Amino acid sequence: MAVAVAVAVAAVLALALITGAGRATGGFTLVAVIAGFGLAGLVSGLWYLVDTHLARPVDVLSGAMRARAHGDMADVLDPAVAPQLGDLAPAAAALAQGLATTRAALAGAVAQQTAQLTAGKARLEALLADVPVGVLLCSGDHKLAFYNGPAVEMIGAGLTDPGLDRPLFDFLRDGPVRLAHARLLATGDPAAASDLLAATCDGGRILSARMRLRPEGGYVLTLTDVTEGLATHAKREALMADMVDQMRRPAATLASLMAALPEAGALAPPVERALRDEVARLTRSVTELTQRHDAGRSEAVPQTATRASDLADGIRARIEADGQSLTANTTELLLQCNGFEVIALVAGLAGHVGSEAGAFTLNVVEDGPGAMIRLGWQGPPVQVAQLEGWLDAPLEPGLPDLARRDVLTGHATDLWPETTPDGPSLCLPIRQARRAVTRPTPVPRPVVYDFDLLSQARTGALHDSPLSALTYVVFDTETTGLDPARDDIVQIAAVRIVNGRRVEGEVFDTLVNPGRPIPARSTAVHGITEAMVAGAPDIAAVTRRFHAFARGAVLVAHNAPFDMALLRRAEAATGLVFDHPVLDTVLLSAVVFGQHQTHTLDELTQRLAVTIPEEARHTALGDSIATADAFLKLIGMAQGQGHGTFGAVLAQVRRHGRLLQDLN
Amino acid sequence: MGAKQHRVLVVEDEDNIAIALDYLMTREGYAHDRVANGGDAMAHIHATHPDLVLLDVMLPEVSGYEICQAIRLDPSLAGVKILMMTARGSAIERRKGMALGADGFISKPFELAELRDEVRRLLGRERVVPGG
Repeated sequence: MAVAVAVAVAAVLALALITGAGRATGGFTLVAVIAGFGLAGLVSGLWYLVDTHLARPVDVLSGAMRARAHGDMADVLDPAVAPQLGDLAPAAAALAQGLATTRAALAGAVAQQTAQLTAGKARLEALLADVPVGVLLCSGDHKLAFYNGPAVEMIGAGLTDPGLDRPLFDFLRDGPVRLAHARLLATGDPAAASDLLAATCDGGRILSARMRLRPEGGYVLTLTDVTEGLATHAKREALMADMVDQMRRPAATLASLMAALPEAGALAPPVERALRDEVARLTRSVTELTQRHDAGRSEAVPQTATRASDLADGIRARIEADGQSLTANTTELLLQCNGFEVIALVAGLAGHVGSEAGAFTLNVVEDGPGAMIRLGWQGPPVQVAQLEGWLDAPLEPGLPDLARRDVLTGHATDLWPETTPDGPSLCLPIRQARRAVTRPTPVPRPVVYDFDLLSQARTGALHDSPLSALTYVVFDTETTGLDPARDDIVQIAAVRIVNGRRVEGEVFDTLVNPGRPIPARSTAVHGITEAMVAGAPDIAAVTRRFHAFARGAVLVAHNAPFDMALLRRAEAATGLVFDHPVLDTVLLSAVVFGQHQTHTLDELTQRLAVTIPEEARHTALGDSIATADAFLKLIGMAQGQGHGTFGAVLAQVRRHGRLLQDLN
Repeated sequence: MGAKQHRVLVVEDEDNIAIALDYLMTREGYAHDRVANGGDAMAHIHATHPDLVLLDVMLPEVSGYEICQAIRLDPSLAGVKILMMTARGSAIERRKGMALGADGFISKPFELAELRDEVRRLLGRERVVPGG
């Protein structure tokens, strides 16, 4: 480029020389030519300098940086690659070095996480392969995504064995599964669970199943084969029923006959009295036993709280599949029944009844402690004799051993025709039902795991243990007052932290009867009244349980000396000693944020963006959870400051010990 | 001369309880018959038009519920009172019986006095002098 410019300038000047030679003076022309050549040379020189000392090194450096930015090169960028650019190349080299280090760390972390996940997955698969229950993981459209060996044994007796992405309903009858799935989806709880009874497609097995939705979609079915259990139960039940019936009749007859006895006057008074007593006793016993037997019948098969509207939807779907219609009128009730069986029973009977207009009505209403399901239609009423015949038929074509009558027996109920001004109907009472109110808060899942515990080295001394490797019990107390030497605990709660996370299901939470009045000013803070603690255990009993809960853990509390003083006062009564290592979040906060900050729990949680629900504030459990969540953030920050072990934190904490005295 | 003597039909397959019922009906001065199975009951009811049927639920051939419904669906038997008896006596059985048209329901074992009162309630208080 520079050469081209110089040549162009020279050409212009030469032209000027030639054309001007004839008419201008020779001196002027010569000067112009020399100046032109000089200018061209200067431009070329300058360009050469820029090119070799700036443009080319920039190209080299940018190429090297691009290669490291996008080419995934891990080698060190040579700081001498562009010495003409002064400190820019070494700076770029440092940047590249930082990038390479970050990349390596990221790759290492990803590899570690991947290895953990892979190992966890392998352990989970191994675990599920060995558990004695069948486990099926299904997609939302009921296709198999996972199954274990026992599940294959249970559902694989048909034409083919289970296979991934195969429809579940190739193996299990769809009715109960679809109903349970729809019911769970309707709850709006992404991890809701429901029990159901399902049969294999060939009717060979009856499986008791629990369905749990997966938050990411689909569901897990855990299966237990109850075929033999139900058959055995049915035999025993039949024996019991025979026994009860055979006892019931003579006992009843005997009692009635006794009424005729006095007037016969054939027995001596003491004999008559003894006979009368014994008959009365026998009759009472038989009556009581038979009543208990009848009441227990409904517990023979798994029954769940089923929404009246779900029952109506299920019955409607079946009736509409037969080309008829159903208008349902249900109150918001939860009926204790086997929803699948009740739907199949009512829909099956509707098929026999047939409605002249092809339309049925269904009412489900509260009925004493239970509910009444009433199927109505237009047309002739049903005769009891007809109904008895229909009840002898199988509930479903694939379930030859389960008659409709068995559903009534299993629910300890009966069915009858009734005619009202609205027309004929069939009435099916369900013994237990309750109004559907606001759904209670989901209970924390009791099943907890952390596979990393299996590989955790437990031999290291506490002092050198990384903070994240320790088990902590974070606790809080509510008391009768603020003097730990005189006041007493009225509530104590704690949560556990294992492997750097708070374990949701592992909670200690109890009221304590302090054996003394609770001052109103204390009740105003924590809301605990004397009436609330009247039936609660005393401090000795609670201390024993809490000591067991905290065994092997580091105790953590916010302002720990206060709570520890209260616990240590209970040592004498129990013979137990709280010699656990203790960490205090007040002091930890001072280590992390410095002593100039405020370290109350409210301030600390606000600073760390830990939210305490208002209703949980100043409850022992709410404050324990808040303290635990703040503690987890604090130890992360302490590690970032280079205090990564328990010993290092303890050393720092001791430096801030004086602060606590100031706070108190 | 007393008022009209009430006629009671006992439909009961248990011979011994029928003896107790026979004793009570005789003592109370009711004219009474007994049939021991459900299959014969309707024919007997049509033939005799009893004022009250003492009807056991669990009967051979035809159940007490079927007989109860058949009586209620037959306009010619409109005046017949039905008192059902069962050894089970659950609330649901009682409701079923009442829904099918029974006028009363009594659980076994019953005291004869209890049954007597229930029969009197259904037939009205008038008491018939035996042989009157």
